[in-house]
Amino acid sequence: MTATLTTESLVVGRSARMRAVFEFLHVISNSDSTVLITGESGTGKEITASLIHQSSRRKHHPFVPVSCALFSETLIESELFGHERGAFTGAIKDRPGRFELADTGTIFLDDIDDVPLSMQVKLLRVLQNRTIERLGGTRTVPINVRVLAGTKRNLKQMVVEGKFREDLYYRLNVLPLVLPPLRERREDIPVLMEHFLQQYFRKSGEDIPRVSDAVLQAFMRYSWPGNVRELENACERIAQTCTCGTVRIGCMSASILFRAASQPADVVVSAPTAPQQVVPIALDDRIRELESNLISWALKVSHGNKSRAAELLQIKRSTLGDRIVRCGLTSHSSEEDSA
Amino acid sequence: MTKQQVEAVIERIRPFLRADGGDIEVVDVSGHSADVKLTGMCAGCPSAHMTLYLGVETALREAIPEFDTLRVV
Repeated sequence: MTATLTTESLVVGRSARMRAVFEFLHVISNSDSTVLITGESGTGKEITASLIHQSSRRKHHPFVPVSCALFSETLIESELFGHERGAFTGAIKDRPGRFELADTGTIFLDDIDDVPLSMQVKLLRVLQNRTIERLGGTRTVPINVRVLAGTKRNLKQMVVEGKFREDLYYRLNVLPLVLPPLRERREDIPVLMEHFLQQYFRKSGEDIPRVSDAVLQAFMRYSWPGNVRELENACERIAQTCTCGTVRIGCMSASILFRAASQPADVVVSAPTAPQQVVPIALDDRIRELESNLISWALKVSHGNKSRAAELLQIKRSTLGDRIVRCGLTSHSSEEDSA
Repeated sequence: MTKQQVEAVIERIRPFLRADGGDIEVVDVSGHSADVKLTGMCAGCPSAHMTLYLGVETALREAIPEFDTLRVV
């Protein structure tokens, strides 16, 4: 669940990808249709769902987030639709399900891909008929709920593989929203860093310290598999551990440092996005620059062993030789070349 | 286990450390253990000892199967 992310944290982002997300959110703010939010873990699916709710007509009514991954196949039905007393062992009293609790408001079904196939049929019926029946009950209860669904996986692919019902997929995928992973919007990293550092240092009543260039570089280079949530945790850690008034390499988790160091520098060459920044770029020069950076990186991490470097770059050893010459890289460590 | 093997692992993060005015010095390698010392900017910081210790130890263990103990001296 993305509960640790704050609402503002998603809104922080200047990249073209995030601007497109915000514009889409604005467009659908008056809608009552189902939204399918796809995004890796930590990209802010629940925050987005709550933003959608807060900007809708239902904002003064309940918002009920529920992770479908938390419940076993038998429990999920009772959790979503509720049960009557005596429906099963341990059902000592009537209990409304999440759909009933969300009545007149919005329900967010996160990890929808974790709903077992047998349950998907029941869910589809609820979405079509807008009525539920509690487990062990006979009464049909009409519900007025807007449905948002979240998933980390590619649902369409799951449909192809027979793991997700096609009819349910189309019922959910009315308004598709894709949240980009952090590594695809690296230009937002400094902004997010500043945001979270401010938040955590303010919490402990301290001044926001300066961040060294080395730390910023490591943050920019790291691939952030846990996305914004991982970045937030890294910032929280810095706020707790930094004692000298400047955020330096020593404040960082060394695992981030090692993995950042194994990434080639400047892999991400983002095109200027803001309209006021449109200036001509020489594509050939930029490509040569990128090629040169990547070759230097490969030579460095393979300690000048060209065969290993060629393997890393997935090109032939002879091709690498040609390109080193073309890029004007003098191989200072050619004597170490074991090939 | 040689000092060069330990240095090669630390070398991976050294550019970042140096950019921040710090370094990790390999003081001694004996048997399967290594003694290292934090120098420069982060040398006096208890957090830096902990973060770097854990990361360097993990990286050494991954790179050198027989690696045993890392001591920060």
